[in-house]
Amino acid sequence: MLPFTKLSQLEPRAGVTNLSETESYFKSTEFLSLKPLNPNVPHNPSLYKKPFVESFEETPLMVAVLTYMGYGILTIFGYLRDFLRQWNIEKRHIARERDEQKDFVPLYQDFENFYNRNLYIRIRDNWNRPVCSVPGPKMDLIERSTPNYNWTFEYTGRVLKDVLNLGSYNYLGFAENKGPCADAAIEATQAYGVGVGSTRCEMGNLDIHEELEQLVARFLGVESSMAFGMGFATNSMNIPALTGKGCLILSDELNHASLVLGARLSSSTIRVFKHNNMQSLEKLLRDAIVHGQPRTHRPWKKILIVVEGIYSMEGSIVRLPEIIALKKHYKAYLYLDEAHSIGALGPNGKGVVDYFGLDPKDVDIMMGTFTKSFGAAGGYIGGKKELIDYLRCHSHSAVYATSMSPPVAQQIITSMKIIMGEDGTTLGADRLRQLHENTTYFRRKLHDMGLIIYGNEDSPVIPMMLYMPAKIGAFGRQMLKKNIGIVGVGFPATPIIESRARFCVSAAHTREMLNTVNISDSWQSKYVRRLKYINETLTYYK
Amino acid sequence: MGLSECWKQLSWIYYQYLLVTALYMLEPWERTVFNSLLVSVGAMAVYTCYVFMPQHIMAILHYFEVVQ
Repeated sequence: MLPFTKLSQLEPRAGVTNLSETESYFKSTEFLSLKPLNPNVPHNPSLYKKPFVESFEETPLMVAVLTYMGYGILTIFGYLRDFLRQWNIEKRHIARERDEQKDFVPLYQDFENFYNRNLYIRIRDNWNRPVCSVPGPKMDLIERSTPNYNWTFEYTGRVLKDVLNLGSYNYLGFAENKGPCADAAIEATQAYGVGVGSTRCEMGNLDIHEELEQLVARFLGVESSMAFGMGFATNSMNIPALTGKGCLILSDELNHASLVLGARLSSSTIRVFKHNNMQSLEKLLRDAIVHGQPRTHRPWKKILIVVEGIYSMEGSIVRLPEIIALKKHYKAYLYLDEAHSIGALGPNGKGVVDYFGLDPKDVDIMMGTFTKSFGAAGGYIGGKKELIDYLRCHSHSAVYATSMSPPVAQQIITSMKIIMGEDGTTLGADRLRQLHENTTYFRRKLHDMGLIIYGNEDSPVIPMMLYMPAKIGAFGRQMLKKNIGIVGVGFPATPIIESRARFCVSAAHTREMLNTVNISDSWQSKYVRRLKYINETLTYYK
Repeated sequence: MGLSECWKQLSWIYYQYLLVTALYMLEPWERTVFNSLLVSVGAMAVYTCYVFMPQHIMAILHYFEVVQ
């Protein structure tokens, strides 16, 4: 039984009041009995203005068993090949230790290196494909061939033209080399040049940066904002400036590497809650406030909840109304990373806060990147004026990293004005509507084919489950033969049996382009249990 | 026509077998090794059944007192 009766006898802790209620905020009996809740049904529906439909279908049992069997066979052959390489029966292409280092701790014996040598390299022609045009809705790829099963590559000299691009994060179609954004960027290059040559704090603060930051603050609806040259560095260099020892970071299970790195660099205590699970988060918050820091039981200096807007490997959207209710009740702070959701969600393209119809002032730190929807590079942080002024002096990125390049900043300014509609045309609203239509159409199409799709109905990131390792390689190659470029995702980024192919729809895709994606029966990936799979007309592999 | 349909069906089934057992990712000599092992183990199982099945069936029938 949880010791809630003692709460009323405690002194009020710093920043925390009114804990005399002994029931949890959501007053759910399921929490107290710790029964697992069905994730496919909305809880606390009164906080949501429209239906929140997410689905993560469970792996069918037979498929899981066969996937493990496949990995077992690959492991056995991996050991065989390692043996042959060790005894010099086979030519070695991989990095290895020198003879003088044999008595030291082995460098390449761990699982990641084994996986890399024996599983990843066999199908690695599906990644790092060189793109030689604008990565818009269609792109050109340089064809490669390999004489020794993907250890080395050579160019054949041919270029594959007009490959449908379902892998680039190009949600609003701003990755283009013609049009108003490109013209404005050319003018900015002629005015400022390309390099800045200094950091923000020294001589790298241009007036185009000031203009950009004011525009971003207006776009998000916050008091002030700051822009950085690199999205990954925005997370990893600013979280250490915000928290330190004696603070608690509650981060989602599936947060991006930049958030994890920033949290670890800050030397705060990190606790992880289950993905998008509000009961798990609430339990952690209550435990943190009740017990305080680990040995001394002093209250935490601050509690920071770190979540993302759209999780790119799952396609799920964060349950923001519930998190804001929890944060207000338990007096914690919220850091929202809108890398994929800014520009892609919401009726005005203003991200996940706009999508749920909430007040941007409720989110303490709104972070995002310009890479995905704005066709540029870099990241921003928005919030109260005191916070941003503090970050201007104390962020590692502001002090040590070069500031954003002027044509990139101009591209963001132009594209943001188009999205807000301030350039006088309806181009922004058209693109937002087209993205929403494409998302709904493509998800419906894949679902009707019977494939297991993860994620929320409204997210433009669409992971399609493949499960078996050989299917990632085979699917990528087959799709390239049909002139469609996709991204397959396997072990380190996802759990080992849940490999997937991830589609990213764009506003620049037309319906005809999406109709060319025809996933035939060869994949046997149509695992949805609701549809009875009748194998009447087989499509054969040619 | 029936023969080419049959051949297509068989090659589709072989392709599915390659994908599920992850042999698709292995080099041709590795596939040969695995297929030979599988075929030899399967052949041994079939031969054992052929040699010992009559004795086993007689023992079962004797146990259930169907035959003396």
